[in-house]
Amino acid sequence: MKVVTGVIGNDIHVVANRLMDLSLNARGYEVFNLGVNTYLEEFFDAAVETGAEILLISSLNGEAEGWGREVKLLKSKYKSLDNLIMMIGGNLTVGSGNAEDIVPRYKNYGFDLVCHQVDLNTGLDMLEDYIKEHQHA
Amino acid sequence: MSNVSDKLLIDIGSTYFKVSTDTSIEQHFRDFNKQILDDLNHKCGETVQRYEPDNIHICSSANGGLSTLIIGLTESYSLKYASNIAFNSGINIIESIVFQNIEDYSIPSDLIDVVIIVGGIDTNGGVFDERLDSYLSKLNYSNVVFVGNSPDAQDLNERIKSLVVLPNIIDDRLHIVEAHLKEYLTNLYQQDIEGKEDIKNLYDITGNQIYSTPYVVNKSLPHINAIFSVTDPFILLDIGGATTDVHYSKDLVSDNIVTEQGHDRIVFKKLGVYKSRQSLVYTAEQNEFAYELLMHLKVTENIYKENSEKATKVIMQLAIFLVLSEMSHYRPSYVTLKLLAMNSIVFTGGITKVLNQKDIEDVVAFFYRKILNSDHKPVTVIDRNYDIWTIGAKEHASCQ
Repeated sequence: MKVVTGVIGNDIHVVANRLMDLSLNARGYEVFNLGVNTYLEEFFDAAVETGAEILLISSLNGEAEGWGREVKLLKSKYKSLDNLIMMIGGNLTVGSGNAEDIVPRYKNYGFDLVCHQVDLNTGLDMLEDYIKEHQHA
Repeated sequence: MSNVSDKLLIDIGSTYFKVSTDTSIEQHFRDFNKQILDDLNHKCGETVQRYEPDNIHICSSANGGLSTLIIGLTESYSLKYASNIAFNSGINIIESIVFQNIEDYSIPSDLIDVVIIVGGIDTNGGVFDERLDSYLSKLNYSNVVFVGNSPDAQDLNERIKSLVVLPNIIDDRLHIVEAHLKEYLTNLYQQDIEGKEDIKNLYDITGNQIYSTPYVVNKSLPHINAIFSVTDPFILLDIGGATTDVHYSKDLVSDNIVTEQGHDRIVFKKLGVYKSRQSLVYTAEQNEFAYELLMHLKVTENIYKENSEKATKVIMQLAIFLVLSEMSHYRPSYVTLKLLAMNSIVFTGGITKVLNQKDIEDVVAFFYRKILNSDHKPVTVIDRNYDIWTIGAKEHASCQ
């Protein structure tokens, strides 16, 4: 499956992005890594150009919160992304916060899978479970 | 390779032509009642006859640029990449269309020189459905080229008449691949120049290919510091009789497209001070600040109708202002440059013969104050003797 990934907003934390790229490749995904400092439009546009089934956004400085609010509105402008699996992970808030509050908030923004401060492999296992679930459904 | 100093360099503009030898440079106003070759022979025949055809190098901007309409999948990749390549090939973009919304766009009534269709990496096919055919069937165009994903290429080749298929400009890492489309568009521009304005007769005196002037001038930019004190990033404005060419440092563009050259260019097809004067005035009338500029220059709109030295001067100042406006956020339809980061602004072309340093600096300062609300003052450099074209032409001639 094709995955578009990258770090959202003005966020230059590249290490986790590289690790994610390596892990996704090791799991057999075809990865399109947009790298750091990526805007929401570029993620969606990349999904259109590549025909990706999964969009995996990461954030470390917590900026994702601001961008996340625009996801539904922006995604609604694309006519071919209805089945795109939307996943976000990393540190998803500025300052402190707990997953119980954060996860539902991001799901409300339009993400199918939300991993706030979750180990990379655990997050990718969640993705695989989600894909299996939806393939059977 | 022969010595460049043995060569005769000729530039054919819409209003003037220039002839450069190793010792002198002459400029002549064109006689529009004569063919270009006859006019050239009449005014510079002795000089031309001293050179072998293989040592005569000609470029021309007499025909302006071509127009394109681009149909792409997304703004961030296919349209952005194709636009960048088109601009660099001297092509004017009439319209950019996001394919998913193609039915919402109106059909331009003008003849489009070339339609560019682009989108999808090579493992993502089947993206251009019959809506594309429907749109193209209503469009008036001369050439159509596909530079998108390879699975669609074969299918579209059967569906669209006279489609030229070139390799994808988007690689599998979503990076830009410029070479093939750039070569195709540059050749189209070439053919356009050669095919019109009796340029093709000039092959009687040269054994070399005739190139477009913006292409040749662009070659000089890495060497500009050899003749002028120019600090990067800079822009070079070549304001001519029919068109205006803008060459700019890539550092002035926010786009993070990695390409080999350090300077891009745009050709404004209908912005010139002589042959395109009427369309320049029309553009001015659409610009709310142009009226204020006229007031600043202490003239009224009646100046547009005058044929005086003063009117020519004002039209040239207006051209500078309008071109800078077109490159700024004020007119987002064209490439937007970070003009506040610009350190130098270089002027070449016919306007350097008419405007002095003060005239130019006055209008540049007006632009910064009115459009960018800034007192920023890039250093103004004026190329009065066509040195920039000369080094570009020499550089190019030495490569041929």
